[in-house]
Amino acid sequence: MGLALALEPPPVAPAPVEDQALIAATLAGNGEAFGELVGRYQRAVYHLAARTLRDPTEAEDATQEAFFKAYRALQSFRPGAKFSTWIFTICYRLCCDRLARRKRLSGDELPDRADPGAGPALLAERNDEARRLRAAIDLLPEKYRTVITLYHLQGKQYDEIASVLNLPLGTVKTHLFRAKEQLRKALTT
Amino acid sequence: MMMDDDALDRALAALPLDEPPADLQRRILARTVYAPRAAFLGWELWLVAIATALVGWFGWLLLSAPHAQERVGDALARLVAVSGLDSMNTVLWLAAGVSATWWIVQLSVPDRRRRIEVR
Repeated sequence: MGLALALEPPPVAPAPVEDQALIAATLAGNGEAFGELVGRYQRAVYHLAARTLRDPTEAEDATQEAFFKAYRALQSFRPGAKFSTWIFTICYRLCCDRLARRKRLSGDELPDRADPGAGPALLAERNDEARRLRAAIDLLPEKYRTVITLYHLQGKQYDEIASVLNLPLGTVKTHLFRAKEQLRKALTT
Repeated sequence: MMMDDDALDRALAALPLDEPPADLQRRILARTVYAPRAAFLGWELWLVAIATALVGWFGWLLLSAPHAQERVGDALARLVAVSGLDSMNTVLWLAAGVSATWWIVQLSVPDRRRRIEVR
């Protein structure tokens, strides 16, 4: 009995279901599978929207809209593609639309809303590293901010970042280099 | 002191993601998988709207024509006469045909597989 117990494999948590399987289950009518997908990616999608738009309410709306669009277009999702890249692309395009609308309505040339309070003076006062880094990211121009946010979300998968932003790989690397330069300058004490 | 690339990467990796509102997932699901199903699909609504518009337009054409009621009455009477429905024999044969069809549908032998399942 003791031997049998010793030979039993240790209990392991069940392997997470692949995104592809969840998509297939959703298409077959399983609503819980889509709920699982939303649970996996809502935070990252919201983060992308919040960093791009710098407005929590708009970010929330953009996140909802992104998942709504993804759900309606799930049939067209290319098997083998990454769901994260797809949903980030949808979210980023929605954010671009919102930024363009904001620019039209405000009538000025600023690409996005003024940062709510994270100016250099406030930045200097923030001691916490994460807060300082976040504030520094907020101060970046929109194109650099989005690249650095996706770099944060996707890791060093430059081709995925390029795919989301619909930019050449070289441009993504250049933007990332400049974004990091600006961040380093902002964070230098 | 200038931060190096690795330190910046570590700081970025450690940066917590923005926290979405607590009920965001519930609201997303309410708009997607748990959204009430529409009674009609988009194309069905278009079809019904186009059919209604055509019927309305045709009705208006008929009613706005001079002596419309008389003309419609005449056309119906001609239709009945042409189809032979004004003859009692035709109506009786038609009724017999419809009745026979209905009885054949009702009395058709159930297939063998279904009988086995019932047993």
